[in-house]
Amino acid sequence: MASTLILLVIGLSWLGALLVWWVGDKRSALQHALAIFFSVASGAASIALIFNASSSTVINLDAGGVFGQFTFVADGLGVYLAAIATVIGSLAVIFSVNYMHGEKGLGRYYAMVLFFIGGMAGLVLTSNLLLMFLFWEITALCSYALIAFHNDDPKAVAGGIKALIITQLGGIGLLAGALILYSQTGSYDFNQMIANPGIINPRLLSGMAFGCLIAAAAKSAQFPFFTWLPDAMEAPTPISALIHAATMVNAGVYLLARFYPAFEAVPGWKISVILVGMISAFISAIMALFANDLKRVLAYSTISQLGYMVFAIGCGGIYASQFHLLSHSVFKALLFLGAGAIIHSVGTRDMREMGGLGKKMPFTRFVFIIGALALAGIPILNGFWSKELVLEAGLTGGPVWAYAIMLITAGLTAFYTFRMVWMVFYGKPSEKHIHDAQPAMKVALAPLALGAVVAWLLAGPFASLLQSTLPAHNIHPASTMEVIVEVIKAPATYVALAVVALGLVSWWQRENLAGVSKAFKWLGTIAENSFGFEAVNKFIVRETQATAEELRDTQTGLLNWNIAGLLIGLIAVIIILVMGG
Amino acid sequence: MTANTALIWLLAIPFGSAPIIYLAGRITEKLSPKTGSAPSRWLSVLALAGTLVPLYYTIMHFTSEGAINLNVNMISLKFDGISMLVTVTALVLGLCVTFFSTKYMQGDDGEEKFFALLPIMIGSIIGLVCATDLFNLWVWFEAMAISSYILVAFYRDQADAIEAGVKYLVQSAAGSALILLGIALVFAQTGLLNLEQLRISVVNSEPSPLLLAASVLMLIGFGVKAALVPLHTWLPDAHSQAPSGISAMLSGIVIEAGLVALLRTAGILIYSNTTWGYLIMGFGALNLFVGNLMALRQTQVKRLLAYSSVSQVGYILIGIGVSIYSLQPTGAAGGFFHIITHALMKGLAFLAAGALLYALRLSHHNHEPLQVSDLDGASKRYPLTAFALSLALLALGGLPPLAGFMSKWQIFVAGFEAGSGLTIAMVIFAALNSVLSLAYYTPMINRMYRHEPSEQVKAGTTISWKMALPLVILIIVIVVLGFWPPLVRWMVNPAAYSLLSIFTSVLIR
Repeated sequence: MASTLILLVIGLSWLGALLVWWVGDKRSALQHALAIFFSVASGAASIALIFNASSSTVINLDAGGVFGQFTFVADGLGVYLAAIATVIGSLAVIFSVNYMHGEKGLGRYYAMVLFFIGGMAGLVLTSNLLLMFLFWEITALCSYALIAFHNDDPKAVAGGIKALIITQLGGIGLLAGALILYSQTGSYDFNQMIANPGIINPRLLSGMAFGCLIAAAAKSAQFPFFTWLPDAMEAPTPISALIHAATMVNAGVYLLARFYPAFEAVPGWKISVILVGMISAFISAIMALFANDLKRVLAYSTISQLGYMVFAIGCGGIYASQFHLLSHSVFKALLFLGAGAIIHSVGTRDMREMGGLGKKMPFTRFVFIIGALALAGIPILNGFWSKELVLEAGLTGGPVWAYAIMLITAGLTAFYTFRMVWMVFYGKPSEKHIHDAQPAMKVALAPLALGAVVAWLLAGPFASLLQSTLPAHNIHPASTMEVIVEVIKAPATYVALAVVALGLVSWWQRENLAGVSKAFKWLGTIAENSFGFEAVNKFIVRETQATAEELRDTQTGLLNWNIAGLLIGLIAVIIILVMGG
Repeated sequence: MTANTALIWLLAIPFGSAPIIYLAGRITEKLSPKTGSAPSRWLSVLALAGTLVPLYYTIMHFTSEGAINLNVNMISLKFDGISMLVTVTALVLGLCVTFFSTKYMQGDDGEEKFFALLPIMIGSIIGLVCATDLFNLWVWFEAMAISSYILVAFYRDQADAIEAGVKYLVQSAAGSALILLGIALVFAQTGLLNLEQLRISVVNSEPSPLLLAASVLMLIGFGVKAALVPLHTWLPDAHSQAPSGISAMLSGIVIEAGLVALLRTAGILIYSNTTWGYLIMGFGALNLFVGNLMALRQTQVKRLLAYSSVSQVGYILIGIGVSIYSLQPTGAAGGFFHIITHALMKGLAFLAAGALLYALRLSHHNHEPLQVSDLDGASKRYPLTAFALSLALLALGGLPPLAGFMSKWQIFVAGFEAGSGLTIAMVIFAALNSVLSLAYYTPMINRMYRHEPSEQVKAGTTISWKMALPLVILIIVIVVLGFWPPLVRWMVNPAAYSLLSIFTSVLIR
């Protein structure tokens, strides 16, 4: 049963991709319909898969030789992420019916979206590290193609290529990990390694651990590889919601969570993970404070929340990190799709040109505020419960200074979230022509808003799903009630709530705090320049191009020099061989 | 059909059909100038398709009985794993190219010569990889080279094409001179020319400076053809000025045939597999570095693809170098797998670019090279061709689920299996270069999918089905291999073992 469902989840999406492309752009209504049908079908299959989860290998294709066995497992970690990818994927597709109405190149758009959904599901459901890397690269390809969807816009093209190159560079870490696994064990099956990390030579295991950390940091836009995500906001907003908030960027967090039992004992690894998560969360929250582009604020916020998840893993809180991943996917997709409705209506992404939109867009304001409350970590929304669990994991499993920074970041999160809501929906009304979210958009937004309010009730079943299918991960099962009680009883919760309240009050009293904000103006400049990391990117690109330009002199175009090259080669090889023996 | 008969027909059909193709073309052109050389076009397609029949029998015999040995007077041939792989690749690519060229070269002055020379070149390649002694190998090699010189300089009215042809000719001839010198040294030292006997002789005797010099001369001499850096400088000109089908053949199989010749000859003369392993890996790294950086700055499509070929040879060299170094077959298997996938991917890229070149320039009798900026908005008017070119470029960049990912993967596995710091560093370096290559492949793809077409695209003519069909076939093969690489295992493994048997028998004393 599980094997059929896995094939359906991936296969239906990919079949849909092929059909949408085949049908052709002239029949756009059919394309919309096909896309919705296949993404929803895939979503249904993945939900059914949740009820068939187990820790055993359900598909096994022998590709032989260096390609190993193509295996798939439907365990808790995989099925819930596959469900997120397909369900939020179908909501994004439904949203696109209105958002992408009348756009040219719809076939390419939907084909890439569906190809991505299937690829993401495959990434989390496979237990073969070669296949995981293969799906990893497929998602990178789709992400690039969709960011650069508007090929006539140089910013979009540049954003897409940048995202591709940065995530691919990080991917080399995962490549090295897969190759180490194969050369040490003769197989790509990582479950045997996770159950027993001792089968790998410690130095190579360390290489694998840090390689995977680099790959995860690049994919999840963490420090120091985060610069691609804000530029990826050139993508159509449903893509930002699906790929760059709810699914692909989670792949890095998934990788770290999956391999945690194998890597936790590697010296220096856990603290590195904590540092990566903490620094990402903190500096991106600062960058969000100063950003004026609505999607950029959400992008920085995504980096920040992913930082929380990574931090939780470093502290050993696997369940907390995955629960926060689940909450974040729901409320961030909600926020992005809401932003999409706003941008589609207002025609700009600059928040300074928005304002007072609440009157004309009541539905959008309502769902957006739900998402914002969840992001800020206000009870009783899902973001509150999961963030508290993360912070608790940090308090018990990590150094106290890291916990303090994450706590401060929670306050900053509240601050920038309310700044964002205020600038968009309140304040001085914008002059633009406004209309509320269109029907298909509402259909996509409503379930997400509902999810943000009630999805946390699944905490208990989620914990037992993870615990029963992931024997190596030491998840402690707890019912939803136990989770609630744990959070309510922990003093850390109230500390966090106090900080959040401080953040809210600071925004509310911002005029009185004008002196403080002036003192931090210098921080704004640094934040706008991505803390210098953008300069690093530009430096690398410039130097590579300059070196390439210098190298052109070797292609002289003169035959005498070409033959000289032959002789130089000859002499060099003779010298090498004579010396080498 | 017996094994020997099949092998004879395998060589006889391409060579025998060439004069018929030429004559048929000349006669019909004289008799009815309207249809032009139509018979020569279709005869050459038929000849190559016909060669598939003896190939099938040869492969059947090989897989059941092992290597096929054939001796006809002075010519002795041996069909082993390497021969099989190169022959299959050459014929498949050659068929696609010839079919493509029936439209591409239609109406060109001297096209009957083109269609006669293509089978000769393919036949020479088959002979080259089946040769068993140094002299015959060199003769087949020269036959391949001479037919390719003419094909490269085919547009004899274009100054750039002639310049490219002359540079290619002179450099290749310099390489051939070095090869001959090397053969002379080998003969002087051992009195032998047969590769098997030479192997035995080298194994049983002390290292000799003459043989060392000979091995270097072979390496450099054949290395010119195999586009090793710094011997590659003829390549960007030749591959960009040649008719697109020839560019595809050159990049796809001719340089690889040069590499095979290099391995067969220098391979029997080496003494230290670690030094030679380092040497080949070093050349591989150099190729990757130079090829990728030079491609980054190109604004002409075919020149960019030519530099890309230089860098792709780097992957093959690294795979083979790791194999020589570690005496494990995985690297060689990866290298040979990459020869297959590169032939398909680069073939598709050059044919798709050629189709666009034809539609945008050649059909207007304009021999200006195709610029990257001409590709703007091409997907609107030429959806299949733009898709084909995009797919080829993504495959060359090593993105799944396309064939290039799988062949590079096999090479990378070999580097880690060998386990030394150097081989692992090579793999990381190669992976970094893969990412770098995306920096020059992706902008072209983005340009093609713009909504605003360039002036050239607006004024372009349609692309005929004769050019589109080979593109579709290659696309399908690249995607299928990307999903299920074991499909070519029957070719790749025997080739890897054949290669390793050359090196290991020399070193096991």
